[in-house]
Amino acid sequence: MAQCGGDVSRHRKAHLETVESLCQGLLDDDKCRAMFGYLQEWPDLGSMCYNASLGEPPLAPEASNGSGGSGGGFKKRRPDACLDTKGESNSVCKRPRGKQQPCDPDQMAAAAAAAAVGKGKPERARAGAKKKAELALPKDSPATSASTVTAGQKTDYIHVRARRGQATDSHSLAERVRRERISERMRYLQELVPGCNKVTGKAGMLDEIINYVQSLQKQVEFLSMKIAASNPVVNFDIVEDLFGRQLSQVACNPAALAAMAMPIGQVELSCLQMSPLPAGSPGFGLEMFVNSNPYSPAPGGAMSVPAGASVESCLDVGGHKSVVFDMVCGFPAAAFLNLWVVFCTLLQVHGAAGWDIGSQSLFTGFDAPFQSVQSE
Amino acid sequence: MSSRRSSRGSISEEEINELISKLQSLLPNARRRSSQASTTKLLKETCNYIKSLHREVDDLSDRLSDLISTMDHNSPGAEIIRSILRS
Repeated sequence: MAQCGGDVSRHRKAHLETVESLCQGLLDDDKCRAMFGYLQEWPDLGSMCYNASLGEPPLAPEASNGSGGSGGGFKKRRPDACLDTKGESNSVCKRPRGKQQPCDPDQMAAAAAAAAVGKGKPERARAGAKKKAELALPKDSPATSASTVTAGQKTDYIHVRARRGQATDSHSLAERVRRERISERMRYLQELVPGCNKVTGKAGMLDEIINYVQSLQKQVEFLSMKIAASNPVVNFDIVEDLFGRQLSQVACNPAALAAMAMPIGQVELSCLQMSPLPAGSPGFGLEMFVNSNPYSPAPGGAMSVPAGASVESCLDVGGHKSVVFDMVCGFPAAAFLNLWVVFCTLLQVHGAAGWDIGSQSLFTGFDAPFQSVQSE
Repeated sequence: MSSRRSSRGSISEEEINELISKLQSLLPNARRRSSQASTTKLLKETCNYIKSLHREVDDLSDRLSDLISTMDHNSPGAEIIRSILRS
């Protein structure tokens, strides 16, 4: 939004500069009216100009301008304006870059009138910045024309217009910029979080945002657990056909893997380690993946690891069949027990002698780490 | 939570700060940041985090639905998933 507004404002700026030159020697109303006619196409500017020259309050340009940043305002260019010469407003040297400044006619009126009329604090416009009255008060002070000479200067830092009645030191101006940024972010968050529109006020919105983030985290965690729980059991059928299966399928099914290792006779099982998902994910959905090479008698050998899993494998060397499940993070215990039931069934079915011994150590080896996990 | 609002009806600065720090604790970077807590940066982090959570939820949902669709209905795995979904 700032982008398109910027273009428009730049366009307007060019025109304004022309107008400015007109203003310089301008002292009477006639020429002002002529200028006003020229500016008809920009109602806000026109009204401002009108207001400035004639000293009358505008007809609610505020409403139209406040409607949106891209619609009404134009970028303030010059820091000093006729307003400043009055000494009542703030000398400005800053204005926000790329922002549309909605017209703040009250301020213009106050400045133009040069009287105590405009005491009331102007309404906070969109960004809280007011529009600069570049054309105002040519008749009020000759210093105005001098100030317009500096027109067109553009610097690289953020320009913020201080509002009338507010402190003008750099601290409050910087503070205001900061606050504007924060409110901009809050608005963006408001769009992102559903249901935030009904709540107003910073605290309410923060509340909503916190609740939403928590619920999203829980959702992710729940989904991960579901997937992790379903994985080991999904390919149970694979166990039936131990040799013909793809490695990738086996990888997803530690039970199948263990079963596959059985007929081979080498009982070097990998020590299955379940590590949590990468640190970036909030809910630690555990994915169980087995990393081992069942076809190779030699220890070690990593298999194709499905993407996204962080797996470590270590082989228990020495022909000793033991499987150590080192569960780093909590795992759905129910699902895992289910897995073990399956595994036991497998052992009985295939009845590999070598496995009988192994199964004992399997279970014992399994219990210990599992206990520790449960305590977590 | 109305309990956090002051009885006057206006919201005090401390309450807002408390909310902000709570939000900060939810973000994954909480520990490392050492409460640098520039509000602007915090809000930006929250935006990014929410977006990434959205992506993750979508991704996981897709995977889950794929899993379910490819599974045999009568297999024990499907049964487990169904029971989990029901809970």
